[in-house]
Amino acid sequence: MLKVIDRKDFSWSVVFIWVALTGIGLVAIYSATLGEVSQFLPAHIQGNFSRQILWISISLVALIAIQFTSPRTFQGGAYILYAICIILAIITVFVGIEVGGGRRWLSIFGFRLQVSEFLKLATVLAVANYLTHKRNMSVGNFKTALTTVMMILIPVAIIVMQNDTGTALVLLALIPVVLFWSGLPYGISLLIISPALIGYFSVIDILFGVIAALLITIAIFFLQKTKWLTVSSVLLGLVVVVGTEVALEQILQPHQRARVEAFVNPTLDPQGSGWNVLQAKTAIGSGGLYGKGFLEGTQTQLRFLPEQWTDFIYCVIGEEFGFVGSSLVLLLYAGLFLRLLHMAGNHKHPFAQLVIVGVTFLYFAHFIINVGSATAVLPIMGVPLPFVSYGGSAFLANSLMLAICLNLYLNRRSFSIYR
Amino acid sequence: MADTKQAQKLRAYTRILQTIVIIGFLVMFGRIFHLQILDYETYSPMSMQNSLRMEIVNPARGLILDRKGTIIVENQPIYSITITPARFNMASLPKLAEFLRIEEEIVLERILEAQSYSWHRTSRLFTEVPFEVFSTIQENIWQLPGIGHQIESKRHYPTELRASHLLGYLREASLEEYQSSDRIRLGDKIGKSGIERIYEEYLRGDVGTEYIRVNAYGQALGTYDDGSLNIEPVKGSDLITTIDAEVQQLAEKLMENKRGGLVAIDPQTGGILALVSSPQYDLTKLAGRMDASYWRDLNTSPDRPLFNRAVSNRQPPGSTFKPFMGLVGLHMDLITPQTQIYNPGYYFRGRRYGDLADPGNYNLERAISRSSNTYFFWMMDRIATRGHLNTWSRLIKDFGMGPLNNIDLPSERSGIIPDSTYMNRTFGERRWAIGDLMSLGVGQGMVSVSPLQMAVAVSSIANGGYRIQPHIVSAVREPHGEIRYTNPVLERIEWIREDHLDVVKKGMEGALVEGGARFYGNIPDIQVAGKTGTAQNPHGENHGWFIAYAPADDPQIAIAVLTENSGFGSISATPIASLVMEQYLTGEINRQHVYDYVLNFQPRIRTLEVVESD
Repeated sequence: MLKVIDRKDFSWSVVFIWVALTGIGLVAIYSATLGEVSQFLPAHIQGNFSRQILWISISLVALIAIQFTSPRTFQGGAYILYAICIILAIITVFVGIEVGGGRRWLSIFGFRLQVSEFLKLATVLAVANYLTHKRNMSVGNFKTALTTVMMILIPVAIIVMQNDTGTALVLLALIPVVLFWSGLPYGISLLIISPALIGYFSVIDILFGVIAALLITIAIFFLQKTKWLTVSSVLLGLVVVVGTEVALEQILQPHQRARVEAFVNPTLDPQGSGWNVLQAKTAIGSGGLYGKGFLEGTQTQLRFLPEQWTDFIYCVIGEEFGFVGSSLVLLLYAGLFLRLLHMAGNHKHPFAQLVIVGVTFLYFAHFIINVGSATAVLPIMGVPLPFVSYGGSAFLANSLMLAICLNLYLNRRSFSIYR
Repeated sequence: MADTKQAQKLRAYTRILQTIVIIGFLVMFGRIFHLQILDYETYSPMSMQNSLRMEIVNPARGLILDRKGTIIVENQPIYSITITPARFNMASLPKLAEFLRIEEEIVLERILEAQSYSWHRTSRLFTEVPFEVFSTIQENIWQLPGIGHQIESKRHYPTELRASHLLGYLREASLEEYQSSDRIRLGDKIGKSGIERIYEEYLRGDVGTEYIRVNAYGQALGTYDDGSLNIEPVKGSDLITTIDAEVQQLAEKLMENKRGGLVAIDPQTGGILALVSSPQYDLTKLAGRMDASYWRDLNTSPDRPLFNRAVSNRQPPGSTFKPFMGLVGLHMDLITPQTQIYNPGYYFRGRRYGDLADPGNYNLERAISRSSNTYFFWMMDRIATRGHLNTWSRLIKDFGMGPLNNIDLPSERSGIIPDSTYMNRTFGERRWAIGDLMSLGVGQGMVSVSPLQMAVAVSSIANGGYRIQPHIVSAVREPHGEIRYTNPVLERIEWIREDHLDVVKKGMEGALVEGGARFYGNIPDIQVAGKTGTAQNPHGENHGWFIAYAPADDPQIAIAVLTENSGFGSISATPIASLVMEQYLTGEINRQHVYDYVLNFQPRIRTLEVVESD
């Protein structure tokens, strides 16, 4: 076997972005937990900053170590890892540490691990491995698609049982992306994601939902020019629009409905459900161009933001570093995603492609949901911002995923299907 | 070839996914641009409002001092704990109870009460809590969502004075008062009676504002920007009164268990030295947290303690009217100081008008000192017969009887000094005759006055014919120390002649020697001039009057006392007035027996209807 590793294939730019986001995250976590606000926070939250540094150190070691492993390890170990993570996640549902109404953490050797974070990684690897062996997906290969969907839905279901809807949604985003990359026709891919889009617009206004459904149907018609697909798009659109309305009126729990209503119109009940939305918007908006300065954000330091070290960390950045700081974060992410996608497109091995694309869109989903929640583009869903938010397991899992992507690309010349 | 096709496909996939990423980025970028650049003007003030709380700082209400500078009304802080039930978390109940040092059940009961009042409005949970409790809660307020605290102040009366009708009480401003003034906020307490009401504008001061940094729990974190935005409250002005606290206190003591009014006045300036309406009420029970049952009792008591008998009562002056009749008679040339009128024991005009004075000849001086009715019936007969009722009425009113004297107290009422208009209105045109006017000559019948009016009137005799402006506040001391004096006018009553006054004064001095006042009216070493009176009361026991001034040669105090339903003025009102004057002039009481007599005085119940005279 000829081993060709070109050092030039190590993507330093990705590492640079990783360092930059981690650094920004540390600054924001420091401000959110150790600024003036610390006096209003319980002691264990004040320890977040040093814990995060510990996790970053662990992640750094792991990131370097992974560069020296063979890419085939990931492919070979994918199913085993997937199985282990599934089992651990199920155990967590029953014996996990309960925090805020959900069992998400498993205590291992004194470390609190959020298994669902690693489950995401395992799912990406497992799905990529599975699809690598079932190339050239087409409409005819319905069974393959179904298996893929099931492989993702199982962890999603477990995570939902852990009462972590946000993470479950993130994982769900994997379905259209990997199917699309594996050759699912454009029209069908669009059909798959259409419920999310139509649903989103229907929540805002039923008219928007109808328009979205219409536009998507037209797009599908031009992409595929298949009668049955167009018809099913119309039907699906109808079902989603009506379903959303029914869900809003009938199915959702009162607190969930309140959250959705607060998203649509936060000023309706500024002291109640709209409170978080309004405070988040106020924090970001009042940051202005340059922000109020490090440790100077009144919204942050006076405890107006909920979970400001994780789910609302983007508000801390927005308030204290302004438009300059928050757009820098956006640019770093955009750069990371584009670079990763470029790496996927330039890799010859489908496993590597699928892993990198999957990882990218896991990050992307996190990014959109987190920033969307903070800026009130989306209803509030508790999801951390990759590399920036506090959270050891998430940071480690995200870094591991990035390390694997780096490794796969580093080995792109040797790691080939034609060996 | 397949390979190239594969590569093309790959490139297309990559492009599509990159496009999605770019769209996502642009949406978020547009969103933050919108929030941080376009809507900055909206959110920046919102975050300011969030973290800043503007608090109204109430100014200290002005103090009230007596003529010697003794503080008689001041302020005392009261500490209250408030609750907004909707934001309160029942889990923190034990902690709250611990901080309050009150049993949990009682706290819970109050919380439920507050809930039943309103879930969202803030109400007082406990008022007038000790300072230590208040400060503990203040420090731990962030652990107690929905709990608040506030410092208010209440009026405090450091001396033993009650002076309830003089000072007055505060109550929450009514909706109309709140709407009519931009200086009154809802819930503010304002003066509702006494000088607290008249001088509300001075006492009130201006509210200040303080900007306080608060966190999301509403916990105060100190002033914002070192208080650069704060506006200091302006303290209310102090009132310097003409009241003599010692004299007032004695007067109150002497008037205890009696009904009536007392007004002591400086006849040279018009400054009120003491003003008592009895029964009084307890201002301390109306300060701060009002005692609701006490307030109800005050409003329903048959004694009407809220009624100011010193300035609002209307009673016939009885024989205390005679000195003024004398001056009017001299001026109208009905009599001269030498005019002698024979008293056979009655005066006859259509019927007999009784006279209890010894039969014999009376000149004016003797008629006053011995209080002979005949002399004054004779005079009134002339006035009525010659149709001079209106002249008489005008001259009497010049003394301050009848019209308002514009004292700085609310609820002053005018008296009645009848003229033809009044008679026509009361009886009907030409439906009244001389017989209806006769008793006016001895201060009975329709003529009616308040103790204040009698005090003002007797001051005119004491000060040599000047109409005084009775007043309680002599100066307003502004917060920065500047003192602005009130300007009470002293107006010469043109028609009063010095020689006429001398006669009347002699008569009043004589009353202390040979008249009814001689038993209790004399003060050792000080010459007193006075006149007793008894107002006939068709509804029950007669009312006793006494008017006086002293020292007779250099009057420094003039006084009018009315004791209701206590019979002769000589035994009820006179000793009170003389003790008050003694206290003012000598600084002490040397006649313990008179003092004890007054304290133990029980009005006699008379069964016999006795005609006026004493």
